[in-house]
Amino acid sequence: MADVNLSEAEKTFILHSVQDNFRDDGRSCEDFRHMEIETGLISNTNGSARVRLASTDVLVGVKVQLSPVDPENPEVGRMEFFLDCSANATPEFEGRGGEELASEITALLTRAYGCPSTMDYPSLCVLPGQQCWLLYVDILLLECGGNLFDAMSLAVKAALFNTKVPNVTMTKDEGGIELDVSDDPYDFKRLDVTGAPLVVTVNKIGHFHVVDASEKEEACSLARIMLGVTQTGTITAMKKEGSGSLDADSISDMMESAKKVGVLLNKSLLKALGEEEEQGTEAVGFLR
Amino acid sequence: MPTDTRRIQGPETSNSPYDFCPTATSDPALLEKQRLDGRDSAQMRPLFLRAGVISQARGSAYIEMNQTKAICAVYGPREVQRREDFSLKGQLTCQFRFATFASQHRRQHQQGNQEKDLSVQMLEALEPAVCLHKYPKSQINVYVTVLQHDGSVLSAGILCASLALASAGVEMYDLVIASSAAMYNDLTISDPTVQEEQAVLSRVGKGSSGMLTVAFMPSINQVSAITSDGGIQFDTLNKTVRTVIDNCQKLYPVLQQTLVKHIEEKKKGISSK
Amino acid sequence: MAEEIRLAQPKEYYRAFLEKEVRPDDRELGEFRPTVLNIGCVSTAEGSSLVKLGNTTVMCGIKAEVAEPRYGRPTEGYIVPNVELSPLSSPNFRPGPPPEQAQVLSQNMVDFLDTSQCIKLDSLCISSGKLVWVLYIDLVCLDYDGNVMDACTLALMAALKNTSLPVVTVDEDTGDVKTHLSTHSSLSVDSCPVSTTFIVFDNTVLLVDPTREEELLATGAVTVVTEGDNLCSVYKPGGSPLTDEQVEMCVERAFVRGKEATALITDTLCSIDR
Repeated sequence: MADVNLSEAEKTFILHSVQDNFRDDGRSCEDFRHMEIETGLISNTNGSARVRLASTDVLVGVKVQLSPVDPENPEVGRMEFFLDCSANATPEFEGRGGEELASEITALLTRAYGCPSTMDYPSLCVLPGQQCWLLYVDILLLECGGNLFDAMSLAVKAALFNTKVPNVTMTKDEGGIELDVSDDPYDFKRLDVTGAPLVVTVNKIGHFHVVDASEKEEACSLARIMLGVTQTGTITAMKKEGSGSLDADSISDMMESAKKVGVLLNKSLLKALGEEEEQGTEAVGFLR
Repeated sequence: MPTDTRRIQGPETSNSPYDFCPTATSDPALLEKQRLDGRDSAQMRPLFLRAGVISQARGSAYIEMNQTKAICAVYGPREVQRREDFSLKGQLTCQFRFATFASQHRRQHQQGNQEKDLSVQMLEALEPAVCLHKYPKSQINVYVTVLQHDGSVLSAGILCASLALASAGVEMYDLVIASSAAMYNDLTISDPTVQEEQAVLSRVGKGSSGMLTVAFMPSINQVSAITSDGGIQFDTLNKTVRTVIDNCQKLYPVLQQTLVKHIEEKKKGISSK
Repeated sequence: MAEEIRLAQPKEYYRAFLEKEVRPDDRELGEFRPTVLNIGCVSTAEGSSLVKLGNTTVMCGIKAEVAEPRYGRPTEGYIVPNVELSPLSSPNFRPGPPPEQAQVLSQNMVDFLDTSQCIKLDSLCISSGKLVWVLYIDLVCLDYDGNVMDACTLALMAALKNTSLPVVTVDEDTGDVKTHLSTHSSLSVDSCPVSTTFIVFDNTVLLVDPTREEELLATGAVTVVTEGDNLCSVYKPGGSPLTDEQVEMCVERAFVRGKEATALITDTLCSIDR
């Protein structure tokens, strides 16, 4: 993540603002920043979404492809995450600079979505034991403004909500079963994302913790925990990050916050997505 | 796949013989009655630890939890190899590997995604414990190889690495103790085997089923890493975190004793010379 | 004082010892370090062993898989040995692709198995032209204190003798493959070759089973492979030239070592069966 240089005085200011539950941009500790979500803006993907969370900008495209099943799980579909940290976001990502961050984020998303109850994976299997849908989820990080993990998980869930998987008809030949993917753009099925998790990062700053930390606040925090939270409050993944350690008691408080925020966030995301679809608002694109 | 010219190559594709027989899928519901190795749900496996097993390394350790076996070596503090990695604060690197023969299915020589993820998690767990500011401009390398995988490998790796770091004389705030647990509905299973891990992680449906690993520093009461997998109800998770921390407390004296024994042996070795 | 000389002038230090025909670790010139062998230590592998030669530690694990045979050789299986010099084992190895030394050792293992013919490739056949066994033999060096070659060959032979494979059948009509886990068959190992490595110090003195320190001071090396009363191969990768008498002495010493090592493997296997 981009380095922010803060003076000791600035750090103390942030520390105190968190302590008083009145952060430097006026939020309380459990508030998110303003966010914009737009879906279906890339026509050559099966589903896409863009999330702008304050100045963090993420674009996600989902492509589906028929592929052989995983021999260890022959009756379910598959999902793979790829993250490209564009050098536009910060010069540090130039060359292979963003790889470490990318593998960390994709590992967490893979873990959060790896739980069998998050998606209806069996429905993504076309021919058990042979062919299934493979969902390629490509994430492009356009701008860093803090809280990348959460923004990406929001964009991923929105893109999956928007994803249209073409229907497949099977015909039995003498040689075996032939699969025919429908090329009618209106002959598709949607994915059920009600069980999909969102990542909520809780940063420890001083003796208190905040969600959706800005870059400045992240620079003040030595340890954070990330939780994959579903709409029902089930935790599908958890990890701690940062060079600091945490008190055993504060972890449970942080988890409590993450769960509370995660459930609300899930609800408002699905509501917003539903509204967008009903209104059928015209695509705005990134260049406003 | 690109061919690896630096190794002896086998045929292009080969399959494990275990792909052609019905796999023994263990139903997690059975765990509620009895564990496969006859243990109590809260019972951990016996821990065998030994420090100073690798003559060339600054510090090293070997751990055995029944069929889970791992070895760790610590090198450094030594010079930073690439100049762009230079920093005034010391650096810690971790490499977590499985031997190709560690699991029922053969693993590849190149480091896989799972191994990379485990390396990062191990680093997260150890970094808060090491006084890196005391080692400016240098690097400490931790290498862990799992020789046999039978569950709870992350906690085995962290335990082993923490003992190896201590035996290398690296300054630390405390030993890092790690422990794992599997959850199934309201049941918490301490120190699961690989079959138990697979059983809880592959289950679909309501209720909790998942894995949790916590790394803990007992004498300063700080958690240095926490990681979970699978779908878990919030309350179950919260409760299990406490159980696992208690388990870590139980392991603490075992590590301390091993370390003391190692130092006594070293002292004897020097005085006999 | 002695430690300082050892660091500053290792050659002088060694010469002083070797004049009296003894080595700094109390060994005679032709003496091996204590050899410890443990067989069947990794139950996830089809065959495994651990060898300790003094401090040098090598673990061998054999994983068996099935594959289609090579075109034109319908009954021959594959043997794929690889030596890994893990960064665990020495400060000189770093993570990444195998260093040159590991590549040479892997090739040595191939030659060792080829020349001694201890495993007939035909014996790895499951169904002619359809399915054969592939033996992936991975040798991991866990502690590098010299003479990894001999530790590797010993671990390799011990693991091969320990290998047991599940019974796999191929249905003649449908071509379906089935594995029967309840029955196992052990591998037929026809012979038990043993390697013995010497280094040459100051172009004249021969030392068997060198430590890492001795390897660094060596002006040459030679490896002799024997099998029972037969000589399999002599491998001498350059270095100082040897006289006839010296080579003869090496071969003689190698025969003695060969018998010791074979007995060690047999004894260890017996103690496991019991």
